[in-house]
Amino acid sequence: MNPSLKLALVLLISLEVSFTQKLGINLILIMIGLILILKTRPSGLTLVRLIAIPAIPAATLAITIGAFSPGHDWFFAAVLASRIYVYVCLGSAVTLATTPLELARSLEQNCHLSAKFAYGTLAAINLVPRIISAVKTIRAAGQMRGLTLSFWSPQLYFKAILSALTWSDQVAQAMESHGFVDDQARTTAHQIRITAWDWVILVVSLALVQGGLIVLP
Amino acid sequence: MNRQKIDLTRTPQTFCWGVFLLTWIEIYFHKGDISMSKRYQLKEVILLALIGIIFGVIYYAGDFLYNGLSIVLTPVGLGPMANDITMGLWCMAGPMAAMLLRRPAASFLGEFLGAAGEMFLGGQWGASNLISGFVQGVASELGFTLTAYKHFDWFGLTTSALTSTFITFGWDWFRNGYAHFSLQLNLILLIARFVSMFIFCGVLVKLVANLLERAHVTKTN
Repeated sequence: MNPSLKLALVLLISLEVSFTQKLGINLILIMIGLILILKTRPSGLTLVRLIAIPAIPAATLAITIGAFSPGHDWFFAAVLASRIYVYVCLGSAVTLATTPLELARSLEQNCHLSAKFAYGTLAAINLVPRIISAVKTIRAAGQMRGLTLSFWSPQLYFKAILSALTWSDQVAQAMESHGFVDDQARTTAHQIRITAWDWVILVVSLALVQGGLIVLP
Repeated sequence: MNRQKIDLTRTPQTFCWGVFLLTWIEIYFHKGDISMSKRYQLKEVILLALIGIIFGVIYYAGDFLYNGLSIVLTPVGLGPMANDITMGLWCMAGPMAAMLLRRPAASFLGEFLGAAGEMFLGGQWGASNLISGFVQGVASELGFTLTAYKHFDWFGLTTSALTSTFITFGWDWFRNGYAHFSLQLNLILLIARFVSMFIFCGVLVKLVANLLERAHVTKTN
């Protein structure tokens, strides 16, 4: 499916689920999300993380609603817990099946997002491994001087932002020297199209979700 | 009792509409400032996305805080407070970007592009990150809009912390079922959230901004 439409579909469903209280549709959406995730053949570790980490917020909310709130509404507690898994399963189904590059190309070509936002953000995403190692380096350098830099230390953020300033300058120069010009018409080497089939999937899925919301508990 | 119930369900809706209206009034009166502001260059777009991602990376290093707090607070019935206590950390990228670039939309873009980046960082939330990023971005931007983009100082930061508190709280009212908690718990959560916002998005951001200013990298108009 076209990456932009896939993203739009998941965002629309997530928003709709946020404002409705139906357990049945949540469970079905989780199943669909899990099937889509399994189709991308994720590693065992990814799967375990997907299921285990959201268990803490889900359990926290459910227990507070069920045991400590007026009404002791265990049904709503189950709705909330399943809602968190809907976000996780559908959200990851998109990110696991789409690469950032595909999404950036599709947003630029199909949704007419300005190229600097599409490729600027993409450039930042591609710097993630360097960001992680830079944060580690800053911490290690602090420790050598007997300073433990934690998430509340202004120094840690300050140094990381200084690196970001340098990188953004360098990456922008590199892109411009490869012929990237702001606000200019671009030709595309890899065209991404929206097919009629994409629209059919989008409309049918949304219709099914509406139907499910009316019919299911 | 009945009366209190009606109040509880109506207040947030009225509040949401109020915020909506206020936002449009602000945009209307400052649309000159907003459209006159220089357009963002490629370099700045990359910088804004980088800031959001960096704050995400640092947050993940402190993620144990949320889990630990949840496990300690849930048995006493204050479980959701873990979310409120750590909320300020999530929203730091926005005000930081505003303090660095001092331009309209910087706060929103820092928060939202950061969320778009984190989407692929391997966090389990995937595309849902975009929705929270959008809400948080609008919330912290509104604080600077309300001060007419003239106060990139304590006043602007505190206003931004206030709007962030209320708007993200309104969002959790629906999304995380806060509407079903008792009034007392909601008040405790609201206060905890504001304290967290003020400490991280106010005090900590200001301290970092002071360092940046001394290093002469902040934009001065």
